[in-house]
Amino acid sequence: MTVPALRPTPPAESTAGRVADCIADADGRITFDLLRDRREGGAPGAVLLLRLRGTKGRSDRVAEDVRLPLSPDGDGRLRAVLPGTAELAEGRWDAWVQQPGTDGETAVEPGIRDLRALVDRTPDPGGTVGGVVVRIPYPTADGRLAVRCWVRAPHAEAGPITFGPAAMTVDGTLYGAELGDDACVEARPAGHPERSCRAPVTGRDGSFSFSLPYDLPTAGPVTAPQLWELWLLPGGPSGSGTGGIRISRILDDIWDRKKIFVYPPRATTGDVLAAPCYSADNDLCLRLEPVQRHD
Amino acid sequence: MHISFLLHNAYGVGGTIRTTFNLAGQLAEHHDIEIVSVFRHRDAPALGAPAGVRMSHLVDLRKKSPTYDGDAIEHTRPAAVFARGDSRYRQYSRLTDARVADHLRSLEADVVVGTRPGLNVQITRQARRGPVRIGQEHLTLDSHSYRLRREIGHRYTLLDAITTVTEADARAYRTGLRLPGVRIESIPNGVPEPVVAPADCDSKWVIAAGRLHKVKRYDVLVRAFADVVAVRPDWRLRIYGGGDATGDERQALHTLIGQLGLHNHVFLMGSVNPLEAEWPKGAIAAVTSDRESFGMTIVEAMRCGLPVVATDCPHGPREIIDDGTDGRLVPVGDAAAVADAVLGLIDDDGTRHRMGRAARAASRRFDPALIAERHEGLYTELIRRGGRHHSHSALRTGVHRARGAVLDGMYALRHKAGDALRKGRAA
Repeated sequence: MTVPALRPTPPAESTAGRVADCIADADGRITFDLLRDRREGGAPGAVLLLRLRGTKGRSDRVAEDVRLPLSPDGDGRLRAVLPGTAELAEGRWDAWVQQPGTDGETAVEPGIRDLRALVDRTPDPGGTVGGVVVRIPYPTADGRLAVRCWVRAPHAEAGPITFGPAAMTVDGTLYGAELGDDACVEARPAGHPERSCRAPVTGRDGSFSFSLPYDLPTAGPVTAPQLWELWLLPGGPSGSGTGGIRISRILDDIWDRKKIFVYPPRATTGDVLAAPCYSADNDLCLRLEPVQRHD
Repeated sequence: MHISFLLHNAYGVGGTIRTTFNLAGQLAEHHDIEIVSVFRHRDAPALGAPAGVRMSHLVDLRKKSPTYDGDAIEHTRPAAVFARGDSRYRQYSRLTDARVADHLRSLEADVVVGTRPGLNVQITRQARRGPVRIGQEHLTLDSHSYRLRREIGHRYTLLDAITTVTEADARAYRTGLRLPGVRIESIPNGVPEPVVAPADCDSKWVIAAGRLHKVKRYDVLVRAFADVVAVRPDWRLRIYGGGDATGDERQALHTLIGQLGLHNHVFLMGSVNPLEAEWPKGAIAAVTSDRESFGMTIVEAMRCGLPVVATDCPHGPREIIDDGTDGRLVPVGDAAAVADAVLGLIDDDGTRHRMGRAARAASRRFDPALIAERHEGLYTELIRRGGRHHSHSALRTGVHRARGAVLDGMYALRHKAGDALRKGRAA
């Protein structure tokens, strides 16, 4: 048989100038370090752009691009700094590099993201008057650099979840709000607000705690998986149905804990499995699903 | 020197690929280096091509590529040259035999380096005379099947040198096989200095990383951590890594974590690449494998300044960790011993910090520049010696090849007989 000659792999397109290492600080500051592109010579005027995703053609979600000047750090790298005081709306901000004198923007690939300062953040509840701000640089599914932002004022941070015989208990920390005597938590099934169900919340000095039965009284028949969102109503049921504080877990370096924070499901009386879980947006939910029968 | 590496698949993710890239990139600072990948299944190398290294492939498995080879009839016929006992044998074919042969017969290099047994065997059978022949062993002799050990036992006599990643494995090759005149040298894997600042060892996290595979014994680590949490509930464990084609323990581990009530303390983080920035989030690293042919993650953690608690399993850990100085070695499969060692480091801040600093200092010996120098020294010496096979008589090579063919036939027969026996027994 004929054997073709070696097929060389063409040299990979240079990514210099487009891979960014990041260092995140607990106060929301992010330092971006880009390898300088030799061809561009680190021309002055280059900018790192952060653009809120999902705003295209939506007048209800308008946010100015954040433009951060890139300056040579003397080490062959270009550095841009997002100050902790910058205002970024909650959402996902994609990173781009814009060279001076060009209209085009190039996407940025994530390099090494040093996020150690974000692990186990415990902001002082008294020092979060402007709300809790979280910014996590992360790699998107298609391998680009983005920044996941949360801005919560007030904020209910979920902590450990424990399981009793008939109910699970969630402990957490409340920022920027006080629990009233009638404080409660509301479980809202997606798309069916009329079936919401409430449980009392206790706590003091910035902490909260509630127990939710596995058998939700308003669950009804569960024939397909259901996701119930959990909201904290510090002032009691008057804010029922719409208002309230979404209970989330955002005070660390994990931008999507859906597959990482996994809790064992518990069987309810009605052949239903109940388990707390997190959404891809780090919001705490309760999942109900019918028991799978294999016989 | 012109050095040519022969790699199974330079476009995937794995320890051998990472190590070869590190070495090739380092050698490329002074030498002409190429990596020839037998297979190519994606456009860009997942680990990023090493700087200054030429890359090429022999068999194109990209479905959308105009030069896609996966449909070739020859690719459906089992390989006759690639070692049958190699665990990748099923991926090889008459097509790979021919493409590798063509490459090796025309190779104008000073040194040719094979990176797995099947390819090392192919080098002994198909490389033209001239280049110094190096067979790298990234796994260990005792992890090879009986069949593979027999195959390499006679094929490797036509190599100039074998490099292993541990001294223990080099001893096994020296004493377990009769390879007169073949240099057997252990050279550990190189691990670059991290870009990130070292760990301060003040967090309350234990970090582990590796494929979620049975051999890593994460079940032992999770059970040990139940004991740790019973005493120190403020400490938690992160396990980085995912499953692959050879196994995925994710579901089993989630079940175990649930049974032990550790869902607030033990987290399966999934696959993270690069891993480097994850180590400094921890204060202690843990490795509870039943075996580690080297122990790359141990060195990675140490380079980030973490003390490592590792099982004293064959082969790597005890050649990396100095027990009690820069980490701890504990018996294999013993969850209580792992818990004791971890708790010892948790309870003694001074020892934890001191061992972390010692780990960082000791692990500098794995710097890729130092490791590359050792490979370079070996290659230079073998070239100067004139490579045994430059002077090899055609007769001796011929005799070897004939003997090999006869042995191959014998193994095939024995294999068939074994099959027949097993079938008979089952029936």
